[in-house]
Amino acid sequence: MFKTALAQLRFAASVGLGRPFAQWSLDHLIDAIRETKREFGALDVEDGGSQLGGPVLDEETRHELHLRRFRTQAVRAAQETSYYAHLFEKLSLKPDRLRFDDIAHLPATPKEALREDPGAFVRRTTTPCFGTTTTGTTNKPTSVYFSSHEMRTYIALATIGLLSTNRIDESDIVQMSTSSRATLGNTCFAGACAHIGALVYLAGLVEPLRALALLAEESSIPGKKPKVSYMSIYASYLGELVECGLQHGYTPDDFGLERIAVGGELVSEGLKERALKLFGPVEVYDDYGMTETWPFQGQSCSEGHLHFDPTSGMLEVIDPETGTPAGSGQAGTLVVTPLPPYREVTILLRYDTQDMVRQIEGPLTCNLRNLQATSPLLGKLRLATRHEDGWTFARDVLEALEGADEVPLPARYGFWAVPGGVAVEVVVRRSAEPRVRRAIETRLEERGVPVRELNLVEHRGELQRPLPLRCDLKESAFGVPADSGGDVFGLTLKQAAGREDL
Amino acid sequence: MLMTSFYVVMAFTASAVLLGWVYFRNYQTARPSIGVLNLGDVAFMIGVIILLPYLYLALPLWLVAAIFAMAMLSILYFVAEPVLRIRWANWVVALSLIGADVGANLYFGATSATFFLVNNTVLVLAVVGVTSLWAQSGIKARDVAVLGGVLALYDLIATSLLPLMTDLITHLASIPFAPVVNWGVSHERFVIGIGDLLLATVFPLAMRKAFGRSAGIAAMAINLGAIAGTMAFLQLAKVEVGVPLMTGLGPLMVLQYAYWVRRRGQERTTWEYLRAEPLDHQRAASGRI
Repeated sequence: MFKTALAQLRFAASVGLGRPFAQWSLDHLIDAIRETKREFGALDVEDGGSQLGGPVLDEETRHELHLRRFRTQAVRAAQETSYYAHLFEKLSLKPDRLRFDDIAHLPATPKEALREDPGAFVRRTTTPCFGTTTTGTTNKPTSVYFSSHEMRTYIALATIGLLSTNRIDESDIVQMSTSSRATLGNTCFAGACAHIGALVYLAGLVEPLRALALLAEESSIPGKKPKVSYMSIYASYLGELVECGLQHGYTPDDFGLERIAVGGELVSEGLKERALKLFGPVEVYDDYGMTETWPFQGQSCSEGHLHFDPTSGMLEVIDPETGTPAGSGQAGTLVVTPLPPYREVTILLRYDTQDMVRQIEGPLTCNLRNLQATSPLLGKLRLATRHEDGWTFARDVLEALEGADEVPLPARYGFWAVPGGVAVEVVVRRSAEPRVRRAIETRLEERGVPVRELNLVEHRGELQRPLPLRCDLKESAFGVPADSGGDVFGLTLKQAAGREDL
Repeated sequence: MLMTSFYVVMAFTASAVLLGWVYFRNYQTARPSIGVLNLGDVAFMIGVIILLPYLYLALPLWLVAAIFAMAMLSILYFVAEPVLRIRWANWVVALSLIGADVGANLYFGATSATFFLVNNTVLVLAVVGVTSLWAQSGIKARDVAVLGGVLALYDLIATSLLPLMTDLITHLASIPFAPVVNWGVSHERFVIGIGDLLLATVFPLAMRKAFGRSAGIAAMAINLGAIAGTMAFLQLAKVEVGVPLMTGLGPLMVLQYAYWVRRRGQERTTWEYLRAEPLDHQRAASGRI
């Protein structure tokens, strides 16, 4: 306990003063949390979380902290990266003299700049050893580089996060149903599971029936739960599993899932509700994170807001039309600066994520009210449409569609601006039935979508402008062995023969 | 014939052990949310126990008294916290006790019955709080037995072979918060150190957590019996030297631990203990009483 107190002080020094994390303190905290859980059964989430989740800051203190760390990061960027050296030279700005108000006047770093030349953002004095790319669902993949110290730190922080929120313990079996190319998230998450002692495997994005078979498979591993108890998955792929599982007669009794972490895409309330029909009463987490701004993450609260830890990054919500901070209740794009000590190698100042959110109106009353918050993600800016009545975001359409049983999961749809509103197209089960059209129109109107054209189709190939979904990043497999007998990965030979990826 | 001081000191000793037992079962102290008291902490405690007497002998008395006052204030606040549950009331109680101890020392003198009464009460309350915090922080019976075993040897050296403990008690006897339960003057004086009291109180708690109610009650009876027997013998035999109580208590703790481990197997974690023996307020919440 005395060493734990020292480790906590060392951890607090890093979080509070921006000094690099000491691996010994992170490792000791992990051991201490595990020992605490063994002794007491579980950690008090509120209490443990507040001790390790960073300090609660008022706005003035947050501004001071952000200014100090932004300057540190800006000095490093100007001295050691080619992109920001040119930028500061062009603007004739001294990064160590920046005032808080100056930060908002620095041009945001566009995604395209990072995508085209990721090396221009890497500090010369660091040793990058881990390169990762985004899955490129919305465009060409973007590369980001990290040091081994950063990776070890991220894994340790992920471990502490999972342990202190009681999400995973050593008896869990964890299935990662994510793309094997999502190396940053997969490495950190699998590393954290290994630290905890949970059994983790990467199932990947395989044919849904295979994934369901893995989830339903009984195991007899000593000390582990009998079935997969935790799954990390993309929203659209979860939708596929739900649709496929219900179609094939799976019920909650077939699974042992307790928790599902859904991410990478917008997560609708409809999807969460329909997932419960297949998997039973599971906890669903839909936190926010992205490769480029890692490990700055948004945590969902009891009232559905996204909350951000002010010590790991600086968050701005910028109106995409004016380039100024979005006001209360207004939509804007998340502009993020990952701060030290969380980022050392790839420096990004005011990175424009293109992820749209809305500023919260009124005071917060939720369980995370002390942390800066926004609305849940609304979708990518380039997928949103601007019309006379304002914006229509992917979330508006998705929530309406996935809440309707007539729409198979994941909702496959597109929408675009037309005179007077938007046109929406979507795959539905029975497109010819007027009842289906009425139900979807009503739901869209309830979500404030000014539908002027609604095109219902029964096959995704008929969509004109479908939004990309991560579940389509499927991984193929070898063919079915001729002498394999009854089944392959839970598929009968007959079923398997009908699959393109087998 | 036993003197009054024997009965008074034994009464305070028994109060510490019994109150500790009651407090442990009825109140939850604010323990650190992360971390468990383990063998590493016991090793750290042993180091501190060895170094502190020299530090207290080297520092000016007013500074030692100030250190004791600060420590007592925080301990008493934490003892009161789960009982009173009102911040200002905790402060009132803690500050009143601190004030009473200092006042009795200054006004009535360090050898007065009033000061002994107040100081003994403050020490007993502090022992109750600290031992509950240790036990509720997950300390294992094994680790307390190890501490007892090591202190048995240390006490023999520091009290019998060296003049360290006698010097220390004499040196600190005149200040407020003197770390001894004390009664009487001259040849009637009887003293038991706070260290002995802490071990005698925490061991039954750790044994109860680890092996159940019987093990805890047995530990209480054995500790109090051993202390009473030793003190009665000293008084009846008119021995007026410092006796290393832990040299007797320590091996008894080790033996008890060995017996219960053999009988019950591995000791329980706090989680298993509370599942088997919910606290009174937990039982009430779950409708079991």
